[in-house]
Amino acid sequence: MPVRVLIVDDSGFFRRRMTEMLNADPRLEVVGTANDGAQAVEQVSKLRPDVVTMDIEMPVMDGIAATRRIMATTPTPILMFSSLTTDGAKATLDALDAGAVDYLPKKFEDISRDQDEAKRQLCERVYAIGSNKRAARPQRPAPAAPTAAARPAAAPAAAVRPANGTMPPARRGQYRLVAIGTSTGGPVALQQVLTKLPGNFPLPLVLIQHMPGSFTPAFAQRLNQQCAIEVREAKDGDELKPGLALLAPGGKQMVLDQRAGRTTVRITESEPGQNYKPSVDVTFTSVARIFPGQALAVVLTGMGADGREGARLMKQGGSSVWAQDEASCVVYGMPAAIVDAGLADAVLPLSDIGMAISQRV
Amino acid sequence: MALNADDEILQDFMVEAGEILEQLNEQLVELERSPDDHDLLNAVFRGFHTIKGGAGFLGLNNMVDVCHRSEDVFNLLRNGEKQVTPQLMDTVLPVLDVLNAQFEQLRAAEEPDPAPAELLQGLEALAHPDAAQPAAAAAPAASAPEPVAAPEPEPVPIAAPPAAIPPAAVASMVEGEMGDITDEEFEALLDALENPSAAPAAAPASSGEDITEEEFEALLDELHGKGQFKAPAAEPAAPEAPAAAAGGEDITEAEFEALLDELHGKGKFKAPASDAVAAAPAAPPPPPTPKPAPAPAAAVAKPAATPAAAAEPAGDKAAAAQAETTVRVDTKRLDDIMNMVGELVLVRNRIATLAHVGDINQAREEMIKAVANLDVVTGDLQTSVMKTRMQPIKKVFGRFPRVVRDLARNLKKEVNLVMQGEETDLDKNLVEALADPMVHLVRNAVDHGVEMPDVREKAGKPRQGTLLLAAEQEGDHILLIIEDDGAGMDPEVLRRKAVEKGMMDADAAARLDDKEAFNLIFAAGFSTKTEISDVSGRGVGMDVVKTRIAQLNGSVDISSHKGKGTRLSIKVPLTLAIMPTLMIKLREQTFALPLVSVNEIFHLDLTKTNVVDGQLVVMVRGKALPLYYLTRWMVAGCRGVPLPETGHVVVVHIGTQLVGFVVDYLIGQEEVVIKPLGSMLHGTPGLAGATITGDGKIALILDVPGLMKAYGRRQA
Repeated sequence: MPVRVLIVDDSGFFRRRMTEMLNADPRLEVVGTANDGAQAVEQVSKLRPDVVTMDIEMPVMDGIAATRRIMATTPTPILMFSSLTTDGAKATLDALDAGAVDYLPKKFEDISRDQDEAKRQLCERVYAIGSNKRAARPQRPAPAAPTAAARPAAAPAAAVRPANGTMPPARRGQYRLVAIGTSTGGPVALQQVLTKLPGNFPLPLVLIQHMPGSFTPAFAQRLNQQCAIEVREAKDGDELKPGLALLAPGGKQMVLDQRAGRTTVRITESEPGQNYKPSVDVTFTSVARIFPGQALAVVLTGMGADGREGARLMKQGGSSVWAQDEASCVVYGMPAAIVDAGLADAVLPLSDIGMAISQRV
Repeated sequence: MALNADDEILQDFMVEAGEILEQLNEQLVELERSPDDHDLLNAVFRGFHTIKGGAGFLGLNNMVDVCHRSEDVFNLLRNGEKQVTPQLMDTVLPVLDVLNAQFEQLRAAEEPDPAPAELLQGLEALAHPDAAQPAAAAAPAASAPEPVAAPEPEPVPIAAPPAAIPPAAVASMVEGEMGDITDEEFEALLDALENPSAAPAAAPASSGEDITEEEFEALLDELHGKGQFKAPAAEPAAPEAPAAAAGGEDITEAEFEALLDELHGKGKFKAPASDAVAAAPAAPPPPPTPKPAPAPAAAVAKPAATPAAAAEPAGDKAAAAQAETTVRVDTKRLDDIMNMVGELVLVRNRIATLAHVGDINQAREEMIKAVANLDVVTGDLQTSVMKTRMQPIKKVFGRFPRVVRDLARNLKKEVNLVMQGEETDLDKNLVEALADPMVHLVRNAVDHGVEMPDVREKAGKPRQGTLLLAAEQEGDHILLIIEDDGAGMDPEVLRRKAVEKGMMDADAAARLDDKEAFNLIFAAGFSTKTEISDVSGRGVGMDVVKTRIAQLNGSVDISSHKGKGTRLSIKVPLTLAIMPTLMIKLREQTFALPLVSVNEIFHLDLTKTNVVDGQLVVMVRGKALPLYYLTRWMVAGCRGVPLPETGHVVVVHIGTQLVGFVVDYLIGQEEVVIKPLGSMLHGTPGLAGATITGDGKIALILDVPGLMKAYGRRQA
């Protein structure tokens, strides 16, 4: 049975284009359209689509309010369409906060130069989100200060492929860095993980979220407001500091550099052939080099397999690798790649990851 | 990216974006009236956003650029980080013109040109005032030219505030557009020449009036004679120039050359003083711009005009280019039509079976029933199909807020535009054909009708003039009203002018009643502006307006009260395709007279006619009615044949004038479908088209005003 899609956009032109493109994919079926947020709320409860594509700027009720409303009444995976501007970033992050799962640029040229490729990616994204019922996330991450509730340490699990939810072994004092990589669903997942870390978190962090360059400053700013630790978009030459999380800037690559006892990040332009900007693999690889056996890699929700090769190198050097479990993933792609490659020391639900990091490093 | 105009996706985009553009036009003007309307700001923002989205989809990056920047500006506005000011609107409104131009290109399957850099810079400066500041600081030398002798100093000269365009940009804009100054400014220049000290005071007073050609000549002479033209007056013109400049070129290169030659040859035009700083690049060109003088404000008003309203010779072309190829029809309407077509098929089947009915009387009876049925179905079908072509007059009205706004702002008048009956439907072709004449009339009303605020106050009227635009359906006609509460027209002045122009002698002029006097403004050559209107982008002259409306089988009625205002009523038929006519016969040939022109019919003893001043007349209710024999005009070989003793007289009107046509037979009233004349007859004076009569013959449809023009002067 195809994934049933509801298209919400105030532009008839856009609705028709979207309908054409999505219907061209046999795995997808457009079951309805709505011209504004209010109609969207109505249509969702009536049609019960598997996934909703949502515009942000609409009359009557905007996409953010509609998302909030839909998530409150009939939780459904929502894919936002936004413009890749600074204001667009703010609105998109608001929408993600409101419960949207992911976003795509409204200008398809931003997805890919090649129109067909853009269409293919669009369908892929809609399918990935729509085919995963769990993507809708009725519970909202608590942006509250991280609680340091004591939790009994789980029994050490030495299994190469640990069972879901098994707590990883505590290796307090052995780590010098936490590196987190994620893609689709990542903004919300990162927020949920990072808000659980205390302000005096003893290690530096590097975060790699697949995101366009116009979004990462706003995203870092937002995380910084919500988290006890400090979060910044990384700039070339920033030094790693305990309690500071550096977010890789969109469109670039972030690698670690160690010189004269100082560990800094270098921001470089992407090379041709690097599909993801920023790429989890690129950063993980440099982590494996600089902190062999002394880092923790965490791979959260996302499409594709970025991070697998980097994590392999880290793992070979003796570092730990954790993956988010399938049930809590918006798209179980990148974590699945880690697990399938036999690299995961632990597979954890999203709600436990933050706690686990704060307790075990 | 290669564009294909037939591309469905492109068409789809153009339909939607076109509608949004139309709305934006209204919304932006509305916004100036209620700058704090949050919903409106949001709607405008979304409008640009949606066009941007579609354009982005199609990879029309030049459109995306301009929409994107506008969107940014409105994002600030809707977030309350900026206020709507007239200055801001001056920067934003040209965006629509640029978008419209880009649309035209799209329609012609061309890649849209990028928006003028200065416009983008202007928007950028509005959206990111901080970023603009360094640029302004970096160009201290080009500090904002002080409008020393400015006729009406703007409270905020464009280059001054941090939010505005950096002077450097202004300078480049000025440079780029070579000497587009507004007419007002030009008038100010002229005033300054005439009486330098009085310039500031004189300008506002005179801007509402027209300078006739003669006056203009006189001024030019004065200019040449004195040869004292100096820069200072030009200087204040520069800061405002960019506003006009964005609108595009107003005079052609050739005209410009000619003017330059003229000036250099005769006058002693002195190059502007070098202390004109930023204004310097702009200063040399202003003098050549004199051309538009008799048409105040035209240069600035032009951006307001849609492409169709452009210069008259280009008008038809532009209109053709602009004509939309698609119509939106409610599916319910289509269903109705399908239904009726179904019934039509049923009727055909009924008639087909009649052939097999044996009894002739029964067959006849059946036939009569079937035909009655057919009559109903075709009637309904006709109405329904016609309705699919109907569009709300809003399409024409929609552009007026902007036209009025720009013109009023330029003339420093205050005008409140009231629109009624925007939903009135009329034929698509008519909507398009009415656009130009309406624009002209509305401009005239603002320009000549509504007085300057001070003048109005003195006359005990509110400072703000009111311009009413109304449309309503009256039977099978649409009545359009353009009414202002301005100065009104003085019939005496009109009569005098007519005599001065040699159009009639004093006696004839004195005999004109007031209404006839008002109608003088429609006479060719009466308006002093017709000749140069093309240059100023003013559109069409009054006589052209009248002709256009007549071509639509419409009529214009004018009434005016001095000091109270003027009211123009335009009557046009609902559709152009089907026309009610009076069918007549001349010898054995059938002709159709448009019923709109026909006043009355009577039978006449033709021996009771008189000849006055060489013209055959008949007395009707105490008035002499000129009489013409249509047979002599329309039937070959009938010129000079003896007159019949009695005949039918059809009284028709041309404007307010009544004439009688003598015809042989009257057949009756009939709705006819107008077919264009073949290439052989096309353009024959006096003929509007042809139609097929009930008996399958061809009848020519007469064009009454055309007939009179072609034959009325020669005596039969």
